[in-house]
Amino acid sequence: MSEKKVVPVFYDESGNIISSSQTMTKNSSDASSKENTSRIITPPRKINEDISIDVNDVSIMFNLSKNREEGVKEYFVNFIKGKLRYDEFWALRNISFQVKKGDSLALIGRNGSGKSTLLKAIAGIIRPTRGSIKVQGSIAPLIEISGGFDRSLSARENIFLAGTMHGHTRKYMQAKFDEIVEFAEIGKFIDVPLKNFSSGMVSRLGFAIATCVSADVVIADEVLSVGDARFRIKSEERISKLLSGGTTFLLVSHSTGAVKKLCKKAAWIEKGQLKELGPASIVCDHYTQFIRSMPVRAAAAKERRSVSE
Amino acid sequence: MKKTLYEFYNYFPFLKEVIKRDFKKKYYKSILGVAWSMLSPLLMMIVMTIVFSTLFNRTIPHYPIYLFTGNLIFAFVFEGATHCMGCIVGNAGLINKMNIPNYFFCISSIIQSFITLLLSFIPYFIVCVITGVPLNAYMLILPLDFALVFVFTLGLGMFLCAYATFLRDLNYLFQVIRRAWMYITPIFYPIDIVPEPFRFLWDLNPVYIYIKIARDLAIDATLPSEKMLIVGTCYSLLMLGLGIVTFKEKEDRFFLYL
Repeated sequence: MSEKKVVPVFYDESGNIISSSQTMTKNSSDASSKENTSRIITPPRKINEDISIDVNDVSIMFNLSKNREEGVKEYFVNFIKGKLRYDEFWALRNISFQVKKGDSLALIGRNGSGKSTLLKAIAGIIRPTRGSIKVQGSIAPLIEISGGFDRSLSARENIFLAGTMHGHTRKYMQAKFDEIVEFAEIGKFIDVPLKNFSSGMVSRLGFAIATCVSADVVIADEVLSVGDARFRIKSEERISKLLSGGTTFLLVSHSTGAVKKLCKKAAWIEKGQLKELGPASIVCDHYTQFIRSMPVRAAAAKERRSVSE
Repeated sequence: MKKTLYEFYNYFPFLKEVIKRDFKKKYYKSILGVAWSMLSPLLMMIVMTIVFSTLFNRTIPHYPIYLFTGNLIFAFVFEGATHCMGCIVGNAGLINKMNIPNYFFCISSIIQSFITLLLSFIPYFIVCVITGVPLNAYMLILPLDFALVFVFTLGLGMFLCAYATFLRDLNYLFQVIRRAWMYITPIFYPIDIVPEPFRFLWDLNPVYIYIKIARDLAIDATLPSEKMLIVGTCYSLLMLGLGIVTFKEKEDRFFLYL
């Protein structure tokens, strides 16, 4: 935890800065003293009925094995001693925010800033190392949806496999079957093993299955960049339809355009810490400015020049 | 507890789909397909009968069936456990993407082996008829023995799986243990060749207990001793308990190793 702590900036609807450090200072002191407090819910916070997602001081750590070439013997000796050393990597640090019911929040940030990790933690796939996450109601995670497919099975079989994975019954999936096939534009390939599909077809199918649901909370990770331009319009329409019925929506995207269109609010995560939270347009603009100000272009240009020389 | 039951109920359709998928994939693109579940134990029995018949044929009545019974149960336990060990790593793609009960994959892999066990009983009864083992009413109690072995294997599989996900080396080590276990279990030799003072050690072997129960029922047409039934049941329940507790404890950290 050597990097300096970022104090998040919160904006209200009109763009005024709200002071925000109350949750932060409280946690910073005891953060390092407790090892594994994922089950212990520290300060009992009042949860209103209208809070859909409550992320409370969440930190997630990964072990990166150093993988130095020490040889099997030394590895074994260290293993016995319990001294296997890992680089601790904090993918997320002390993230806290709440999302109201029916609200839509986008997570933005650069590659590797921890957006997807946070999304997975909210979806319940990853358990936070510290802190707690509470979600009210059912969750429909649209996280790299095509990853759950079995490539040796046909599209038909995969629809039932992935559908039941989302917690639906076979009967429900049968009722939705035609709709999914039509939306994904699979047509006559329905009984063909997925390994013979084009990558676009696979992700279209994944999108169609994942969005045939009605859940209280929908979580989407870059799913909008699926398929060609025409399909993208279709999928954005479908997302807006999904959201019209008071669904809470969480989106990870690199496209600030899509974020502004689909979400009311945005949270900017930088190096695993919450930097800004507020109306989508304000946070997105700050983020874009930040990206522009970074010396990426200069460096890239320099590199290009040196290559060409 | 209540949460687990609720989760099990909610995702039960998924469990069914996983079992179906694993079944389809098991013999994917093989010509004989599911017939291999019946053929391979039969062929194994024939090979072993040929190899060992000169040694033990005279001392053991109905040697082919003696061998067949032992082989079936032993193969079920260790194949089931082996598949179960790899099931979390093998389904990393799903586990990393969705919040689904991880133990479903364990259940499915044990059920795959169990289906093989049940199917093998078709050739089993055929061999019974050919070699002149009278079919008797006690054979109807065999499913009870299978239930015990199933519970035991599920527990063993979950226990091993919890550790094998962190330490992949366990998979290789387990194959060595399997081979060793095969020799200390009286599958192809009679228990009589074990010297009397050490025999109590053999009686502690859970796999042997289940094999003995099956042999008593099928070949000797007698009820197994109560002591054996009680010990066998205890082994099953203890193993399952150990498996579930270990799995639940380690489960939260699986994602770090996938």
